[in-house]
This record gives sequence, structure tokens and C-alpha cells, in this order.
Amino acid sequence: MGKSIATGPAAPSFAALASLRGVTGPLLGLVLLCVFLSLATDSFLTLRNCLNVLDQITVLGIMAVGMTFVILIGGIDLAVGSTLALAMMVMAYLANELGLPLPLAILCALLIAAVTGLASGLLITGFGVPAFIATLAMMSVARGLANMITDGQQIVGFPPWFNLMAIIRYGGFLTVTVGLMLLVFVAGWLFLRYSTAGRSLYAIGGNAEVARLAGINVALTTIGVYVVSGVLAGLAGVVLAARLDSAQPSSGFTYELDTIAAVVIGGTSLSGGAGGIAGTAIGVLIIGVLRNGLNLLGVSPFTQQVVIGVVIALAVAAEAFRKR
Amino acid sequence: MTVRARLLGMAATATVALMALNPALAEEPDKIGLAVANLQANFFNQIKQSVETYAKEKGIEVITVDAKGDGATQVSQVQDLLTQEIDALIYIPAGAAAATVPTRLARDQGIPVINVDRNADGEPGDTFIASDSVTSAYNVCKHIFAQAGGEGEMVIVHGQKGTTPEVDRSKGCKQAMDETPGIKVVAEQWSQIWSQDEGFQLTQNMLQAHPEVKIVWGQADALALGAAQAVKVANLPQRIWVAGFDGDTAALTALSEGVFDVTATQQTQYMGRLAVDSAIALVKGETVPKEQLLEATLTTADNVKQFIDQHP
Repeated sequence: MGKSIATGPAAPSFAALASLRGVTGPLLGLVLLCVFLSLATDSFLTLRNCLNVLDQITVLGIMAVGMTFVILIGGIDLAVGSTLALAMMVMAYLANELGLPLPLAILCALLIAAVTGLASGLLITGFGVPAFIATLAMMSVARGLANMITDGQQIVGFPPWFNLMAIIRYGGFLTVTVGLMLLVFVAGWLFLRYSTAGRSLYAIGGNAEVARLAGINVALTTIGVYVVSGVLAGLAGVVLAARLDSAQPSSGFTYELDTIAAVVIGGTSLSGGAGGIAGTAIGVLIIGVLRNGLNLLGVSPFTQQVVIGVVIALAVAAEAFRKR
Repeated sequence: MTVRARLLGMAATATVALMALNPALAEEPDKIGLAVANLQANFFNQIKQSVETYAKEKGIEVITVDAKGDGATQVSQVQDLLTQEIDALIYIPAGAAAATVPTRLARDQGIPVINVDRNADGEPGDTFIASDSVTSAYNVCKHIFAQAGGEGEMVIVHGQKGTTPEVDRSKGCKQAMDETPGIKVVAEQWSQIWSQDEGFQLTQNMLQAHPEVKIVWGQADALALGAAQAVKVANLPQRIWVAGFDGDTAALTALSEGVFDVTATQQTQYMGRLAVDSAIALVKGETVPKEQLLEATLTTADNVKQFIDQHP
């Protein structure tokens, strides 16, 4: 506590540096992982591969920003994987079956995603349903709806420009989808760090009752956080549809678990009140680099599952140990 | 003169470089990527083992990735394979939707694609190796209909909706149904990952709703094994006939023990070898047929032993 007061009034650049405090463990892990893979394979440290990794983490990254907010207030959102599928199917159905212009269809998809978040938020704040159960229910409902839209069928083939958003690298570097992810990260970071609403998430996660007494509208903020998480999951669905040039109702199955893992590896506490976007970015990168690296190393698929599990456990255990 | 000589030299170097870049002119492949839909499925696992064993004999390195049934994961994995400069891609699409993207990625780099079991309409592989699912499914259904006396209620546990095998197997069985008007399909359900527990649950639900059923068809052996278990648990008075498809190793043993009644044994070992041979031929620039369809043998308790001893 004394420390944070001491750094509070310091220059913004120093504050930015200090925001990495608490994520030194994950960051160190990421650096070690990269160094190892650079030495062990010829192909890891090439521009092309690094761009591939960025491509591969787009969906996870966008969802993880929303999940960071949710976990910061001490909540959890199990519905994101299903919401992703629902948004994707709504978009594809409106555009391909009903002939709506794609941008409009995307907007509607995001709206539906927002509604799922709103429903979770209302269940939690209005009816006192625990976040775990409320979003578990929403996970099931959204997945069912996604399947009902086309009776389980996939929808294939969008206008070429849509798929190209995930393929053409502007300036040899940035696809639209990766750009979108970076934008979401920066916006999320600025929001948490410099806005009153962003700071209030920490307060709610620290102690909701105290936050309420301090004049924060806890219920409204909580609903807002779940809506944002829903919208970002919907956005991730749109991005995934662009990347795959198709929409499938079984998409995003168990993605909520990957997303939670990324946030927690990045040092955000599951009990709320501590963590941030910088850590989440590192957590997402660790998962992305690890999967990519294991493929490059030619590690057998079954061994990969073991390694990923061990790394998740180690990352979180190390951080917990360091804090003691 | 010297300028011209230097230009000639540069042109020669450029040609050599181009030849090295163009895989069509390379001699033999030394690295093949194998992108599998889902290694939890015995059928795919057998193909994987066959590819790896046979390629090793040929001195070719195989890098295997497992998409666990997720199209998005598979796109990432194929990107990673391409980064490692594979000479050919043996590709079993995960799901139906995203199937075109990996083929497109490989084509962009001039790498030949050998599709196994499933093909993408929008972007078919350079060759497609699979069982003749339509004919084989026709045979399976025809056989089970005859066993059941040509009439009665039937339920179907489909594979993953929209995938090539699911579509073709349904088509083949439909032909048999059209010829056997006494058979009435009272319910059908679709599995997500062709797994045994899905087969069990879906069949249990369908039997609950339709206790008069005489025939259950699971479009893969894992589904059929699950279905057979559900039939056993349901403990209904009538004899219920259970059919499968694939000829998985575990299923063949079960078939010989009378757990279920009929399947079609796919030539998985041969498929794996054929995929590797096709890869070699394509890398050399030889022509390979667009489709290579193999027969799956109708298998019952009578002829199962030969396949248990030696899987085709």
C-alpha cells in the first residue's frame, strides 16, 4: 500500500513502467520461452513466424481483455466461447441467408453478444445468482441458440474483402484483425489505468461493499463489465469468421478456459482486485508462443497437452510463490 | 564482354535458385506435414501411425499436428507446418467449415496437398484419398436391413454434420432405404466429435423416445459401440441390430465378440501408405488422380478374424 502511494504522483512514464510490476514473473517466463525456442529451432525467430503467432492469438487476445475486466471485479465469464459462436452465426446468417450487408450484420452480431452479457450481468446483480452459475447458464443458452440458427450447419463463404482482413498484411506486418486486437489491448489498458470507471473495477474486486460505500455504483459497473466481455467475445467471433472464411456453431468450444488461463497466467488474481492488461497480454503471448513453439519443435500432439498443462501450473504457482 | 558474362552468370545463379525454390523440380520430399483432425478418433490415429511408419521406411521426416476437432486450431497448426518448410501436406480437415483455408495457405507456397478422408468443395486437394463411403454405407445398411427382416423402426447417430464422411455415408444408406420401404427412420441425431460417449448418450435418448426401434446405425464404430452399450442398458424386449462403420481395431474385436453386428472396414494402413506415395509423386511433379477412392469391406462376425490378424 505504501509503495503505491509513493509511486502515485510520479511521472506517467514511471507509472507505465511500474504497471509491469506484478507481471515480472510471467514476463520472465515469456522471455525464457522465446530464448529457448530461438535456440532450439531455426524457424521460431523469423519475422514470418512471429507474424503467424500474432495471427494465431487474435481471437484469444480480444476475449482475454474482456475476461480481465470480469476477473478483476472478482467475477468469471464462462459464456465467452458460446457467445463467440452465437455472434458468428448471427452475422453469417444475416449476411448470407438474409442478404444483409456484412457491416450491418456484424453490428447486429455485436448487439446480440452485448445482450448475452447484459443477461448474465442482470442475473448476477439483480437476482444474486453467482457469476459462475449465471454465465454457465448463458454458455449453454448461447451455444444452443447458435446451433438453432442453422440447425447445426456451418455457413461458408463471405465476400472476399472479409477473409482478406485476416490475410493481407499491411506494410508487410499488420493484418486488420491483428490491428484490431492491438487496438483492443491499448484501449483496455488506457481504460483500466486512466479512467475512473477503470480504477473502480479494482475497488469492486478488492471489496465490493467498501466500493459501494465509497459511492461506486457496483451493480451498474458489474453489468457494464459483462456487457463489454460479451461484446468482445462477439468481436472475437467476427474475427474468427474472417480468419476461417466460414462460421460454425461448434466454434469456440472450451475457449472460455483458454481465455481464463491466459488472464491468470498474466498475473490477474482469480479472487479479483489485482492484475491488469499488460499481464494479460503476456499471458496470451505465453499460450500462443507455447503452442506455436511445440508445433515447430515437432513435439507429439499428446505430449503437447501435458506440456501446456505443466506450464500453466508452473506459471501461476511461481507467481504465487514470488508474492509470498 | 565481361558485363555480358557476368549477366549470364547472374542469370544462371537465379535459375538455380528458382529451381531450389520450386518444389515441383525437387527430387524427393524429405519433410512432410501431417495435419490430423482429431487423434482421439481411432480411425485417424491408425492413419497417422501408418503414415509415420511408412514415411520412416522411406527416410522422410513427418511432423504431426492434432487439431482436436477445432477448425481454428488447425489453421494455426498448418501455418506452423508451412513455417517449417514442409515439402507436402497430408491434410485431414477438422470439421467442414474452415476446410478451405489450410489448402489455400499451402497452395500459396506451391506446396502440394493430399486430402485424406475429407475434402473441401471450395478448395479440393491435389488428390483426395478416402473410402468409397457411399457404396460402403449402402452395403452396411443393406446388410442390416436384411438381418432385421426388411422392416422396422430405425434410428441413426450421424457423424459431425456436414463433413464428407457424414454426408456420403448418409447418402449411401439413403439409397438402401429407398430400396427397402419397410424401414422407417424415426429419429436421427448428430455427434460433434464421433466419440463413443456421444454415441451412448444420443442413442439412449432416442431409445427412450422410440422403444420400438429395431435398428441402430452409428456412422462410425465409436458411435456404434456407444450405441450398443445404450441398447444393452435399455434392456428392451426386442432384438436390436447395431451397425457401425470404419473397422477400428477395438471395434473389430468387439464385433467378433458379438457386441454389435456389422461394420465396413476401411483400409487405413493402405490409406496412410497411399498418402505418402502420393506426396512423393506430387513433389516429383508426377500426375496423381484427383480422387482415389478405396473400397471398405463389409465386415461381420463371419469374416472379422482376418482383419483382426492383419488390418488392411
